Amino acid sequence: MNKGGAGGLGGGSGAGSGPTAAAAAAAAQKQKTLLHRVEGDIANIVDNFSHLVNVARVNDPPVRNSQEAFMMEMRGARMVQAADSLLKLVSELKQTAIFSGFASLNDHVEQRRNEFNQLAERTDRTLSNIGEEAAASLKELESHYSSSAQKTLQNLQP
Amino acid sequence: MDEGMQLQISLDKLPIKRLDSIEENGFERFPPDVDYDEKRLSLIRRIDFAWAVEKDEEKKKKQKTSKESSTPWQWQSMVENLQLAHQELSVIMDLINTVEANDAVTVASMTRPKLLPNEALSDLAVSAATKLQCYRNVGKYFKQSARAFEQQVAREARFYGALIRLQQNWKVKRQRQAAIIPGNEGFTFDLFDNSYDQPAIIRSLSMSTVRVNHDAAGMLAINVSPDLCHSLQFGFVGAQSDDIQRKSNENKSQFSGEHNLGKTGEESSSDEECVTKTHSLLREVHKAIFSEQVFDLVNREAFNTFTGVSVTGIRENYLQLSLDQGTSVYLSLVSNDQDHPTVKGELTNNVENANLLLESSDGMKLEAKQNTPKKKGQFSNSICYEIYIQQIFHEHIFGRGSEKPISSGNRLSGIQAKDGSSLLGHFFMSLAHRIFSTKVLAELENVVCKVPYLQLISNPTWNSRASSWTLYMEVPQSILRGSQTKTSDYYEKNAVKRQFWTKVVVNDDCINVKAEGSPNVAGLFKGKSEESHSINKYDCNLADLPVIILQQVASQIINWLYEEALMVGIKANRDFLCLSFELEQGETLGLVASVDPEDSEGCISWWLVMEDSFAEEQKLQMNITDGASEYRKFLGHLSLDLLYATLMDLVGWCSGGGGQ
Repeated sequence: MNKGGAGGLGGGSGAGSGPTAAAAAAAAQKQKTLLHRVEGDIANIVDNFSHLVNVARVNDPPVRNSQEAFMMEMRGARMVQAADSLLKLVSELKQTAIFSGFASLNDHVEQRRNEFNQLAERTDRTLSNIGEEAAASLKELESHYSSSAQKTLQNLQP
Repeated sequence: MDEGMQLQISLDKLPIKRLDSIEENGFERFPPDVDYDEKRLSLIRRIDFAWAVEKDEEKKKKQKTSKESSTPWQWQSMVENLQLAHQELSVIMDLINTVEANDAVTVASMTRPKLLPNEALSDLAVSAATKLQCYRNVGKYFKQSARAFEQQVAREARFYGALIRLQQNWKVKRQRQAAIIPGNEGFTFDLFDNSYDQPAIIRSLSMSTVRVNHDAAGMLAINVSPDLCHSLQFGFVGAQSDDIQRKSNENKSQFSGEHNLGKTGEESSSDEECVTKTHSLLREVHKAIFSEQVFDLVNREAFNTFTGVSVTGIRENYLQLSLDQGTSVYLSLVSNDQDHPTVKGELTNNVENANLLLESSDGMKLEAKQNTPKKKGQFSNSICYEIYIQQIFHEHIFGRGSEKPISSGNRLSGIQAKDGSSLLGHFFMSLAHRIFSTKVLAELENVVCKVPYLQLISNPTWNSRASSWTLYMEVPQSILRGSQTKTSDYYEKNAVKRQFWTKVVVNDDCINVKAEGSPNVAGLFKGKSEESHSINKYDCNLADLPVIILQQVASQIINWLYEEALMVGIKANRDFLCLSFELEQGETLGLVASVDPEDSEGCISWWLVMEDSFAEEQKLQMNITDGASEYRKFLGHLSLDLLYATLMDLVGWCSGGGGQ
């Protein structure tokens, strides 16, 4: 799993190394740090878990139960802490993906722009259609009114 | 000590050497010196534990009897064993203390007795159980942590999911320094647009950055106070009731401050709702920023004298302007709250203020009073003016599509837009034009109402500062001679023109009347009826418009009658509003049109005028104003068929020769 992640990240950083070499180097360094953290955390978890399992053997007397109990608590706490730091790493990666995925963001913005432009054009067309229909209706109504009894009635009234 | 207890006393011999034996030869044998250690051992051995043992046995017997009497308790044997062990231990410790107190003996070693197999197994079981308990505790701890992590992951997933969806439409910024505060990662929505002016940023800066918080359930929430958000309102001063009714009838935006999720059972749908609500809240703020920008720009441009409006009142978020025609309008920023009672109170005062302020211009006050009854028709348009002014400024600020936005602000750049006047000038000229064209339309309708054969046709110009109408008159085919029903091409070409139009075009406040007038000679040779008439074009003002229209229509009727007479073969003379036929003896019989827009029965009336050759001289001397019966006869308001019949009669008279 680590190697797959490294390959993906490496590809991403390679594509983004456009502007400067310093930026690319910084990105590579950051990637290394992250990987290092991941590996450290996972090694931590595995190590503590193996210790926990090793202590499972029931000893002959003299028994060291309380000592082992404390050790188990400590190892358990360490495992949980390592898991927590892994989760924090994941959320950091998520944040980076949200706010630094510029290619996808730009694409999306472009797409939305096109959508809105089309919507604006459609609205304009609809408005002009409405205007034309209103003009046609007005013409019809005016001609109806002119030839209608209403107008002649108005005339007959003093 | 208990009284019932038997006290046993043992007496030691005095520690003096006692003779053991004497031998025959007098040698005294003493017992050998007891070694120090042996002395102590002997002392120890002398301690009698029988009493303790007997006690135990007694207790055992008692317990056995009690056991037989009551139901056994499951821990009874364990308790007994523990008590026995306790007693043994207490005995041993007493012994050790006594011995050590007497300083005779010290404990050399204590060896653990070899465990019996069941004891060994029970020890193993206990330690296994303890270990199992430890593991169970660790397991519980892991489960708890796992649950907490899952919850946290779910919360983060919802939060980031909502944030991503909102990011599709809004700009999200992050401040890394602010991430120190737990639970707040420092995200903000940036609602400000770079198209806005630099000086205008100050007004809306507080609103343009919206912080992203977490609400109680960990979901995304934004905190926007509703009273900061204003919307633009445009209206006519003096139309309070309509405006306020309009505002209260509008569907209020779903405006709330921090909002919470729905019930936990409907999380997915309430997530959607949450995102939608947040989106609409942000849109409200965005619109409010735009409204404020528009208000700001209007404020700045209103003080340019060449826009044609003058500022008559100014308050916080309220600007009142008066146009040249005595109309007063206001532009205000209204909070989205239920703020109407105070606004209404302000507006009622404004009417009096507006009227007072208008005194400065002569004649305006009178005009304002005259305009009041007509204002009712204008007030329904205040919404469309509101939209229009927003549209103008929107196009100005943001440009059109991919065009660069024009920088606004100073007069020079304002002049570049829209015919050399500023945006606000254009807007108010449109407004003035609308008001004026309403008046023009009223006049035209008044005329058309009274003349039955005249039709009013509106021509939409799709221009905010130009309006156009056509007054159309058609002579129906049915009133013409029956023999002309079937016309060949020849007849059609030479057929009398039966359709007449008069076009009224209003540009800003200039009325231009265009109509077909008298036939021109060149057109006659061409033979086409459309080109055979010249087009009269002239400007007029509002007061003269009805008269001019009526005169034009009357002259068109006269032209038609003239053509009809020609068709029939009678030579007639045509003046502007008069058609005259020559009779024998030099007399002329004329049909004269008289126009009067104030006439309630009809605007065009007809007179029959008879003139003899002497009448010319008499005209110079006398003033023939009254309708003397020998020269004039009032025919009334004739319809077209009656006119045609009259014409035919006149023609008949002329051709039949004649006097009266």
